[in-house]
Amino acid sequence: MNDFVLIRKNLFRKKLRAILMIVSILIAFAIFGVLAAFERAFNVGQEVAEADRLVIVNKINFTQPLPIAYFNRVRAFPGVREVTHANWFGGYYQDPKNVLIVFAVEPETYTQIIGSDVIIPRDMRQAFIRDRAGALVGEGMASRFGWKVGDHIPISSNIFSQKNGSHTWDMTIVGIFGKRKPQIDANVMLFQYDYFDETRSFGKDTIGWMVLRTTSPSINDQVAKGIDTMFANSSYETSTDTEKAFNKAFIAQLGNIALIVTLVVGAAFVTILMIVGNTMMMIVRERAREIGVLKTLGFSSARVLRLVLGETVLLAIVGGLPGLAVAAAVTLMLRRSLVQFVPGMTLNPSIILTGLGFMLVLGLATGLLPAINAWRLKIAVAMGRG
Amino acid sequence: MRAYLLQIAAVTLINVKSIPQRFWLSLSTVVAIGLVVTVLLAFLAMAYGFQRTLAGTGATDVAIVLRGGSQAEVNSTVSRDQVRLIEDGPGIARGADRKPLVSAELYLVVDGVKRTTHTKANVPLRGMGPQGPAIRKAISLVAGRMFAPGSNEIVVGKGLIGEFEGFEPDSTVKFGTSTWTVVGVFAAGGSVFESEIWADLPVVQSLFNRNNYFQTVRAKLTSPATLGPLRDYVDNDPRLKLDVKSEADYFAEQASQTSDLIQKLGWPLAIAMALGALAGALNTMYSSVAARTVEIATLRAIGFGGTPAFIGTVVESLILAIIGGVIGALATYLVFDGFTTTTMGANFAQVVFSFKLNGGLIFQGVMLAVIVGFVGGVFPAIRAARLPIVAGLQS
Repeated sequence: MNDFVLIRKNLFRKKLRAILMIVSILIAFAIFGVLAAFERAFNVGQEVAEADRLVIVNKINFTQPLPIAYFNRVRAFPGVREVTHANWFGGYYQDPKNVLIVFAVEPETYTQIIGSDVIIPRDMRQAFIRDRAGALVGEGMASRFGWKVGDHIPISSNIFSQKNGSHTWDMTIVGIFGKRKPQIDANVMLFQYDYFDETRSFGKDTIGWMVLRTTSPSINDQVAKGIDTMFANSSYETSTDTEKAFNKAFIAQLGNIALIVTLVVGAAFVTILMIVGNTMMMIVRERAREIGVLKTLGFSSARVLRLVLGETVLLAIVGGLPGLAVAAAVTLMLRRSLVQFVPGMTLNPSIILTGLGFMLVLGLATGLLPAINAWRLKIAVAMGRG
Repeated sequence: MRAYLLQIAAVTLINVKSIPQRFWLSLSTVVAIGLVVTVLLAFLAMAYGFQRTLAGTGATDVAIVLRGGSQAEVNSTVSRDQVRLIEDGPGIARGADRKPLVSAELYLVVDGVKRTTHTKANVPLRGMGPQGPAIRKAISLVAGRMFAPGSNEIVVGKGLIGEFEGFEPDSTVKFGTSTWTVVGVFAAGGSVFESEIWADLPVVQSLFNRNNYFQTVRAKLTSPATLGPLRDYVDNDPRLKLDVKSEADYFAEQASQTSDLIQKLGWPLAIAMALGALAGALNTMYSSVAARTVEIATLRAIGFGGTPAFIGTVVESLILAIIGGVIGALATYLVFDGFTTTTMGANFAQVVFSFKLNGGLIFQGVMLAVIVGFVGGVFPAIRAARLPIVAGLQS
């Protein structure tokens, strides 16, 4: 009989007690898994940001417009490999509550710059550049509404109006794009800036923001400062930042999600630390006599210590692994209902690895005191106990 | 009957007095339940605090007019002609000078720097007509004075100045190339207006290149009942493709979106944690029954019924749970009640709000603890009640 068999038999000697501890560990790890996936998805904008991409917005705030004339000036700026511009459309489909993420973009450059994030078939890209009222739709959005290439759809704006007073633009779906990276949000619609700008009733010749790629990430700072200096003291000053920093600042506006997640997961882990730790203390006290017997038989104190620690680590793993499995299932279920809010929620390998690390730490932490007690236990004292 | 009650009382007392023997295990149940209640109440206090800030903002006798389908002030556009037509609408209150109490407004988003993180965040800059402050309820200046018409002056809300840097009275603020002076700080009864910056409408229009551009119209009604006639008037005029809502309804809709979301996150988390704590409570109570096997069997042997053993165990569990629940509620109150923070509201700008607990929420938290305590006590209690006397005495 090797030590593992002994550990396993010890753990499940009182089945109900073991199951209850496993359930509480399982729940704590399920909470950890789901919240970690949620937080990861929330911050996905930082992860997918490309190192050589910069975002240029109006210095007053990113919701304020920039003149279209800036586009050519940035395009000619040294160190800029390519640049595109986009405009928030405030889209919805039929009912104002069916909010859609719709951007009016410069078709050729925009599809080029997002080419590293999404997969746009070449013919669809060409059709999008050609067709004035054409729209490119992400696969997530297309499947949500059952849209296919060739469909004519009316897309409304909660901000803009056409010159004829209508709030709705007719568009033709010329392509559906997929994602190149799993974390990307393919829940977006793109249509031509020219069509938008010529028909809208106000804001003509302005754009929302620009995205550019530098020739190398090492000159990001230099390019950003140069562009902001070029437009300083004009009536539209700019603020240029890396895509990553921009996305980070945007997410931070929603609140300190990381702190909330840490506090809740912390509370869940403290709970099991208390429950499992105290139960193990009790178990070692109950088994005092037995431990005395083991020591009499020649088990070293170190081996007894290992037995107790082995039991708590095994407990943490037996509870933790199904906990992560539950988290994976819950994440999959939440994925669809939260797609508008946090797209691309997944339990990725790094969360699982962190989880395994926590299992080890938890196992050792809950076993430490009881194991030391068992280690210290003198045979004479142990045998004297009931 | 009396004897029976005395039995119950006696056994319950024995149970309760034996808690110190399992001090650490009992404490872990108390802490586990306390943490569950703290997590639940923190989320509920967040949701309620946000809701209170927004719901406290709207008045029922103020109509807000937005572009049809625009949902939020930040999206809306209203033309000058439309503003004039609304001023002539029915049911609108008039001031002493017989002018309609109507304020056409511009709602722009500008950058502010948060005190806590020193990062930029969206804050609202509202350009309003001279009637603007008068139309809103409970507006008072806590420092300085109102902005003077035609000047680059701003007044800032009390909430905004608490959370954002650089808006102290007499300081100057730059939005792009325009420079503004902070001349006053206003309070608005803890409402969402306290998260805003206010300035004179024509100045904002001109410095932000938005001449003849308006976003919303607020109109003071002679009574809440005249909202209907005003809405009919707007609906019947083809030049007015606008939504008319009471300001109270407008903000209530916005409040429910965010606070529903917070509650939808908080409850499932708390319930999951409660299941974990339940496992802990069951563990503790089974241990309690196991530790007193001989004692329970002895009592049964001398004529005590099964019911007192059952009730005694349930009561012990409930006591631990209630202590945990009360500690959790107290901890939430001490740590989170009044804690001020900001989040992005429906208008794409930061809303400053404070966590707020109330009696109803505390009751929900303690009830969750009681449920955990009850379920965690019942099954061990059944075991205690059914304990075979002979086997119990032998163990």
